[in-house]
Amino acid sequence: MNRPLFILLLVFAAAFRVLAQNPAWVVPDDQKDRISPVKFTTAMAKQGEGIYMKNCQSCHGIPAKKNFAAIKPSPGDLSEPKAGNQKDGELFYRITTGKAPMPQFGNILSEDERWSVISFLRSFHKGYVQPEPGKTTVAGKRIKLSMTCDTVKKKIIVKAVEITKEGPLPAKGVGIAVFVRRYFGDMQLADSRLTSEYGYAGFDWPQDLPGDRSGNVILTARLSDPSQNMQEAMVRDTFAIGVPSDKPSLTDTRAMWSTRDKAPVWMILTYTLSVIVVWYFIIFIILSVLDIRKIKQT
Amino acid sequence: MDSKMDRIISDLSHHIRLNRGFFLWMGFLLLAFLACLYAYIQQLKYGLGVAGVRDFVSWGLYISNFVFFVASSLIGMLISAVLGLIGMKWVHPITRIAETIAVAFAAVAGLVIVMDMGRPERLAYVFIYARFQSPILWDVTVITTYFVISLLLLFIPMIPDLAVLYKRFGNLPGWLKPVYRVLSLNWSDHPEQNRIIRRSVYILLILIIPAALSIHTVTSWLFALTTRPGWDSTIFGPYFVSGAFVAGCAAVIIAMFFFRKNYKLQDYLTDLHFNNMGKVLVMVAFVYLYFNINEYLVPGYKLKRADAVHLEELMTGRFALMFWIVQVGGLLIPLILMLFRRMRRPLPLTIISAAVLVAAWFKRFLIVVPTLSHPYLPIQHVPENYRVYTPTLIEIAITLLSFILVLIIITLISKFFPVIPLVETAKDRGLDPLKNTES
Repeated sequence: MNRPLFILLLVFAAAFRVLAQNPAWVVPDDQKDRISPVKFTTAMAKQGEGIYMKNCQSCHGIPAKKNFAAIKPSPGDLSEPKAGNQKDGELFYRITTGKAPMPQFGNILSEDERWSVISFLRSFHKGYVQPEPGKTTVAGKRIKLSMTCDTVKKKIIVKAVEITKEGPLPAKGVGIAVFVRRYFGDMQLADSRLTSEYGYAGFDWPQDLPGDRSGNVILTARLSDPSQNMQEAMVRDTFAIGVPSDKPSLTDTRAMWSTRDKAPVWMILTYTLSVIVVWYFIIFIILSVLDIRKIKQT
Repeated sequence: MDSKMDRIISDLSHHIRLNRGFFLWMGFLLLAFLACLYAYIQQLKYGLGVAGVRDFVSWGLYISNFVFFVASSLIGMLISAVLGLIGMKWVHPITRIAETIAVAFAAVAGLVIVMDMGRPERLAYVFIYARFQSPILWDVTVITTYFVISLLLLFIPMIPDLAVLYKRFGNLPGWLKPVYRVLSLNWSDHPEQNRIIRRSVYILLILIIPAALSIHTVTSWLFALTTRPGWDSTIFGPYFVSGAFVAGCAAVIIAMFFFRKNYKLQDYLTDLHFNNMGKVLVMVAFVYLYFNINEYLVPGYKLKRADAVHLEELMTGRFALMFWIVQVGGLLIPLILMLFRRMRRPLPLTIISAAVLVAAWFKRFLIVVPTLSHPYLPIQHVPENYRVYTPTLIEIAITLLSFILVLIIITLISKFFPVIPLVETAKDRGLDPLKNTES
């Protein structure tokens, strides 16, 4: 093999390795042009700030402070042009789908919440002009969901209605998924199902599903696979279908892992008594040694 | 007036003066101290980031050093209390050296913790927000207590010495006289005074045993109360305590050698003392070896996955060279050598002790760092210096700072006070310390 060709091959191999190690985060073209359904407001940005601080700040830091986490790949400061030059749809897609190590927030934040985070970030991007809502390029059917609970048949019933110019019509064959709220994000409750001819889909729930003290659980129903011809839709509601579970918080009682005020009694006693006993003797000795001064040889 | 008592006084106290050697040595220590203090100021200014510690290996040199300091300070208890209470008369000349080492290391151990704090001005929070459940509170408490007991055990038996020297030592530097007068508490060999001293020392000797055992057991709990491989061990308390005796014995032997040579104490720190200290070191080293075998063999036999990674890293991996040098060169070979009487003579024993002491320091490093380098969750997406811990120059300088402080404390105590208990030596030889007659 002649040398130039060999070198060329080496370079290609190296370039390929770099690419393979760090595949670009490509946003599908049809997602790039998504825009917020509403105009960004200060109130929305304020709400977004709260969500950002809870979910994003641990890695991305406080915007414009450049105090993002030192991890690889670098999360970067989102006030910088790298984020600022992206379209709304690109940001939305990245927040929604994530890419390890960034978590996907599709199941954790609602669409509104994701948009408000973007509106918060946009307040740092100079020269950003929001595309006019309504002129959305991603059109599609508008589906409205509603959710009820049939306690006799023990089914969660989700109804999907398509909003058309002629008025609401039952949406047939639409994929629906139901989620239950837990500590972080939602968990899918049952396999997703297609709606019936009349727009209904029924879901079973595990009979031992733990609820709060009154057995309440928070359920979310959403389109399981919103595609180009359908806009995203979801409904969230509270149902008393869980097993009432009154588990006191682990930090309510005296325990090793609790705060000082809730330390186990035996531990406080052991500590205090040993300190008192030992220091009683130490102080006793110090005082009696000082007495040596007063004793005079006769 | 050249009585036997005068002879003892001059032998044991002739070093108490300001001479050129002292100024040179202290000047060197102070210069080094200032240089290293600069490193600490850098850390105060720019934060812990100037040290090599990162999210994963967050303890590094500082805490290894802390454990070493606590360990070395434990020797005061072994020599004075354990050997003293069972009536070993030969330890009498060594007790003060042991207590001096205990006081110096215990005092600086607390400072080492402050050096490891990112916000040292929040030190008081340790007490304000103390949790009884946290070994940190217990650690702070027992170290303070142990320091005070050691200080009293250093001071109280010294009271008669101070009085005798104040009254009888003509060469006592003028500026030291008021110090001696105040500290000697008008001692005049009155039976009542001696009774108080005897009783106080006796109580302290009993108190210091649980205090010393708890100080190092609680220090070991800082590690053993986690579930991490290498630390998750039920024998960590005794393992640390036995290791502490090894380090402390070695430190005492080195100090004995130094004082014997520099303060010309050959008649008081004899070959017998070195021979016996060598035997004590052999004994505690055997106990430590036994705990080492337990500590590595038991998890090594079961090889649970995380333990396997840890042991592999120690024995064949990144830390293997250090591990085997420490275990073989710093424990096994010294142990075998010291079985021979010839090796327990002052010079060879001191060389062996130096190897043991250096190994003891690196052993603490091997306890702290490899475990931190292998958390249960894999380390991902971080820069290289998070994954591989390398101490920075500043960190090393700050660690040296703590050693310099220990040396300064030991130097000041040993230079301006008698190293060997004077009155006790006199009474052991049937002399009356305040008169020239034999009592």
